[in-house]
Amino acid sequence: MRLSSDLLGLVLIGAFAGSAFAQIQLPGEGVRPEGHLPAVPPVHVQNPFKPFDQPRFEKACRELGATALQVKTFAEEVEEVGAARAADDLIRKMSDKFDAAVTAAEDEDPRAALLLAQVLVDAKSPVMQAHVRYHLARLFLASDDPERAIDVLNEYIGQNINYTSLDGEAAYFYAQSLAEVPMLDAAIPRFRAFLAWFPQASERLRSAAHQRILELEQQQESRLHMLADGMKKTTRDLRKKKTDKPVQLDQEGYLEELDELIEMFQEMEKQSSGPASGLGPSNNPAASSALPGGEGKVGNLNKRPSLADRWGAMRDSDRKKIMADVQNTMPPQYQKMLEDYYKKLGKAKR
Amino acid sequence: MLRFLQERVNKKTKATEVEAETNPVAQSDYDKVSKKQAQVKELMRRLAEKLGKENGVEGGR
Repeated sequence: MRLSSDLLGLVLIGAFAGSAFAQIQLPGEGVRPEGHLPAVPPVHVQNPFKPFDQPRFEKACRELGATALQVKTFAEEVEEVGAARAADDLIRKMSDKFDAAVTAAEDEDPRAALLLAQVLVDAKSPVMQAHVRYHLARLFLASDDPERAIDVLNEYIGQNINYTSLDGEAAYFYAQSLAEVPMLDAAIPRFRAFLAWFPQASERLRSAAHQRILELEQQQESRLHMLADGMKKTTRDLRKKKTDKPVQLDQEGYLEELDELIEMFQEMEKQSSGPASGLGPSNNPAASSALPGGEGKVGNLNKRPSLADRWGAMRDSDRKKIMADVQNTMPPQYQKMLEDYYKKLGKAKR
Repeated sequence: MLRFLQERVNKKTKATEVEAETNPVAQSDYDKVSKKQAQVKELMRRLAEKLGKENGVEGGR
């Protein structure tokens, strides 16, 4: 965007410019948003999760209607694909409605949130509830709504832990949702707790958790990124019609932080020798001349349609049917959640 | 410039809140102010990334 580039240029040659910057770290704690943060229970000192009880899970599944063959296949799959994936596969085989809802989520079908919520409303078993809540939270997180993902995972943690092998995954995505809000102080200990409490979790998730801890710790040291993260949360608040005092206070905090940063850079510029110049050699030149990494590929560059794209591409009658189902078949708490979700999809940038 | 832009978003947020006390405010108006906040955020992010590349300390994303 031309305007943004110009503005950025002005910013860069203004208070923040100068080679002195490249030498410094930024002291201070930075600013974090405080308005409308989701309720997050304190991190448990003691591990509330018990090791996965496979016989108990199999018994619960048989009571839900799993066949002997399905349970046997599950036991074999645990070795091959891990307990979390195997358990989810078994629940999908047992329930056509759940399978259809998860398939819709995988296909980024806008109906997925409604289908999952419908299964959740009907689910009496904590095993089934756990699996539905896990997928619903993942869906919200993928739709840039970490606050709603946290709400759903709070229900999971409050009502559904120790019933299925998805606990580790739920714990990971809880931490990930907190990081996205951003609630870094809450996210980091939960990533650490995930690593300590789920040594058998998949290597993919454990590596990702290690990586996220490093990133978040760096992020905590970066006042500029922290400021951008806070603004991202406020962007979501405003979209959700939240313009009240807590949001305004967050915004005033951003101004104060900008004032402080500008003052800091101006002070450093005064202390640096000579005027700022963009004509000197780079502070951080490349060690060798080389093309950037990545595949030099020519092909179909069309982007994959997003959930919002698919929602926009649906026929009016289909969208109306989904909204009618939300209003007519959902209990109040899920009705509000889904109405907000679909409104947001309709407004999303496509 | 960033400060000026954020100040403008803050004013718009307050004005929207005041307006909502007396008249219903359309979702599109909330979307407009949200979009302005998103633009300031994006500038802030790009600045952080650019300076992070130069510095190697203020990076991390």
